[in-house]
Amino acid sequence: MNTPTQQFGSWRHILGSLTLAVLLEQLPWAGWALALRPDFVLVGVLFWTLHQPARIGFATAFFLGLLADFQDGAVFGQHAIAYVIGVYLVLFLRLRLLQFDPFRQAAQLFPILLGVQLVVLLVGWLAVNPPAGLAMLLPVLGSTVLWYLVAGFLRLLHGKGLQDRA
Amino acid sequence: MATPGQLMFARGLGPTARLLIWLLIGLGFAVFDSRYHALDGLRSGFSLLLQPVREIMRAPSDVAAELGGFFTRHRLLQKERDTLLAERARLMVNVNAARELRRENAELRSLLQLQTRPGQQVVHAAQLYRGHDWFSQRITLDQGGRAGLRSGLPVVDAVGLVGQVGRVYPASSEVTLISSPEQLTPVLIERTGQRGLAAGSGQNLLELRYMPAQTDIRPGDRLLTSGIDRVYPAGIPVARVTRVSRSQSGPYLRVECMPLAGLDRSRAVLVLIAEPQVTTQ
Repeated sequence: MNTPTQQFGSWRHILGSLTLAVLLEQLPWAGWALALRPDFVLVGVLFWTLHQPARIGFATAFFLGLLADFQDGAVFGQHAIAYVIGVYLVLFLRLRLLQFDPFRQAAQLFPILLGVQLVVLLVGWLAVNPPAGLAMLLPVLGSTVLWYLVAGFLRLLHGKGLQDRA
Repeated sequence: MATPGQLMFARGLGPTARLLIWLLIGLGFAVFDSRYHALDGLRSGFSLLLQPVREIMRAPSDVAAELGGFFTRHRLLQKERDTLLAERARLMVNVNAARELRRENAELRSLLQLQTRPGQQVVHAAQLYRGHDWFSQRITLDQGGRAGLRSGLPVVDAVGLVGQVGRVYPASSEVTLISSPEQLTPVLIERTGQRGLAAGSGQNLLELRYMPAQTDIRPGDRLLTSGIDRVYPAGIPVARVTRVSRSQSGPYLRVECMPLAGLDRSRAVLVLIAEPQVTTQ
């Protein structure tokens, strides 16, 4: 299988996309858009962990997790721990995930993203307060859709169809 | 050709070991931050890093609002201007009356030898960023320690109390909203003067706690800050009672209130900087 490693996945691409993800999170989101806002940084980190595990992994995830903690005014470590677990799950399922077309890949990512969010919830619960409702699980949907869009876009960019032909 | 990610022989630690190491580090961060507040330096570092970015990223929505305002109809603006002029005239009358009352109040206070109320100084601030509010509801303002803000100051908008300044960075600050869980606000019922304690419940609501079952309170009553805590000045509108119900189990009423201030709407707020209280005893 010839993965498109050579065309994309240079440091420039990685840093550019992660910076873009951080920038997107700085927009003044509000209301429903905020509730559904995908976790751009998490999707970015997991995406590059899947495609470039030698370059992006635990350390990047941890640092960007600290950044996310600052963004939400949360306890340091809350997102960092969750992101690191997400990276582990992706590494664990990596060879399997790489075989799927974007839609099925996104479907497989959903439980991983959900797990990450549940860890955020758990750590926050232990460290600060019980959370106000289960609205915090909504961004998981946003993130899954974002994953589908990104993976699909890259497939189309590389001249493959959106679905695997049997 | 071997891709960089696939090693033929394992070198170094496996993913599970690395996961455990990072988990331990993360746990250390969480403990040091929540128990000992040892990581405030890192927080101000991040704030220095992200402050300019946030200001730039606010530009697109500002431009959109600007464009939207540009296409507002001329007649609409004229009508608004007329209403504002009328309102201004009405308010000027109130201001004159208030000036008279203040003078009278000062005289009465000196007669009664009460402590005078501290003067107020305000800092204008705009909402810069709003994070996910899963555990406590916060907004970030574009003013910070350089403008004289410090932790604990009250924040209001044109209608009522918004919240209290939490962490302060040089050029930005975090505000904990009054609707945030575990955020307590001492209030009094405007109609009867009875004091109580309003607690945030998350989900943009407040709850008036520990009201005995025979309390005279009904939907529509306004709650003001009571000023009893020396944090909030007295008399700032806080919330309106929306529902009163008797709980079957406890001796207290369940009182739900809706905050008056536009907690999720208002972009521009005021931070009240009270002069340090002089205790004369």
